[in-house]
Amino acid sequence: MTENDSTKQLPPGTAAGQPESGKLSDPERWVEEHGDFLFKYALVRLRDAARAEDLVQETFLAALKGGKSFAGRSAEKTWLIGIMKNKIADHFRKASRETSFTDMAFYADQENDQFVADGHSQGHWLMESAPSDWSFEPGANLDSVAFWKAFRECAGKLPKNINAAFCLREIDEIETKEVCRILNISENNLWVMLHRARMALRKCLEINWFEKNA
Amino acid sequence: MSSPDMNSPRQPAKALARVASLLSPSCKQASRLQSEGMDRPLSFFEKFGLRIHLFLCKWCRRYGEQLKFLRNAAHQCEDHQPAQKLSSEARERIKQRLQSERE
Repeated sequence: MTENDSTKQLPPGTAAGQPESGKLSDPERWVEEHGDFLFKYALVRLRDAARAEDLVQETFLAALKGGKSFAGRSAEKTWLIGIMKNKIADHFRKASRETSFTDMAFYADQENDQFVADGHSQGHWLMESAPSDWSFEPGANLDSVAFWKAFRECAGKLPKNINAAFCLREIDEIETKEVCRILNISENNLWVMLHRARMALRKCLEINWFEKNA
Repeated sequence: MSSPDMNSPRQPAKALARVASLLSPSCKQASRLQSEGMDRPLSFFEKFGLRIHLFLCKWCRRYGEQLKFLRNAAHQCEDHQPAQKLSSEARERIKQRLQSERE
């Protein structure tokens, strides 16, 4: 910690290997103070502990290269979360490119399987898949540890690309246009993915939570 | 083509069928409309048709309530995630990696 010269700030992503120890807070302290928070943040969205650990490391590495220092701990945390958000967006963008068409086909089938395929009542709910009466007391469900376990398990079954859309829209509550920009997909495509995510999640929770606890 | 009735549909039967499906959507269409209504403003006709459908169909009313419940749950799910900490191995590994990057 010999100097703290703001003129030495470097744009993110440059200058690997330059001596920059002077203007940084101690990375060890970062890991202690912010590591757990960033890990949980990534884990909620990725549901993959190994990938979440990787992203925590990538976030700190990018922060090192970005090389800023902050007066307060909360400003530092906000800055690190910003970097983490970009890392997660990159991860989601990749996931939405990589997911196979069989995943999409699976969800199309799942949707079609819930409705009458043809004839007089085409497009109506099939008897066995019509939404059942959850007759819940919403407060009671949301306080139950077991409910959240079922929720995570059901959400964990979504294919990666659909999970990406669902997380950005429903967990981070980002506007649809911005989600489309992040994932580089059309709005129409996003609406379909969200529709299928909700439909699959609803069905899974109905079977694995509401019918078991009726 | 530049005559005033340029706007009238060239295939009235097709246009009527489209209006009919807007005014009277099936459950499958209604489920999609209810989902899309959470992500974009529905058109006047979409809203109108959906209202009529929901008035008549208790399953789709349930579906809509359940979608709202799911959205509310998703908004809260981060708060209900059990406390998760970096393992001590991961912690050490990341620290070492950061140290080596600084040297």
